Amino acid sequence: MDRPVEGLIDDLTRGNVTEVKVVLASVVLALAVYQLVLAAVSYGKVRPRFLESGPATWAHRAIGDALLVLAVAVAVACIAFYGFEEGGAHAVFGCLVLGALAAKVLAVRVGGSSSPLLPWIGIALFGLLAATWLTSAGDFLGVE
Amino acid sequence: MRPPSQMIQIVGSILVALVIAAVAVAVVTAHFGPTSTAKLEAREDAIDARIDAREERRDAAEERREDGED
Repeated sequence: MDRPVEGLIDDLTRGNVTEVKVVLASVVLALAVYQLVLAAVSYGKVRPRFLESGPATWAHRAIGDALLVLAVAVAVACIAFYGFEEGGAHAVFGCLVLGALAAKVLAVRVGGSSSPLLPWIGIALFGLLAATWLTSAGDFLGVE
Repeated sequence: MRPPSQMIQIVGSILVALVIAAVAVAVVTAHFGPTSTAKLEAREDAIDARIDAREERRDAAEERREDGED
């Protein structure tokens, strides 16, 4: 194999690139749902007795950082191994997810954590993640 | 009832995230189920064929590009 990244991914996953990608993408989506809940607590839309806004915000950021790493790892594996040729809607949604991630990081850096854009970018990011998952992992798992 | 301390809330939130990740891994892995050696080999062959086809397409495109430059 003369493509080093493709070979590395194949070695790391022991030839199960699709399966590993589906598992990681599913973890990202499940945690993205949890992130929505934490964001709702953080903005005071939901007020459970056992979780205050400050800790929810801290956890939302920490889990978001981990999710960013996971999402980029899945994207690199996807692009390096499968490329864009057969991607279709999945490739488009995947690129939009990366764009939304970059926009969210930029909004935090420029506007701070109180930026009014953040909730909208977050909701858009979740929608795009769900669409990306449905057009690949969802297909693979037979989700209608 | 007073809410738990902030540190406990943060640790609890992170632990919930870890549990969610573990459950997602378990559910999706269980969905795959056991795979026979024959199926695994067939899958590897399909992946190799796809990679070969892509490399052939890439080579053909490069040749066309080189022909166009000449």
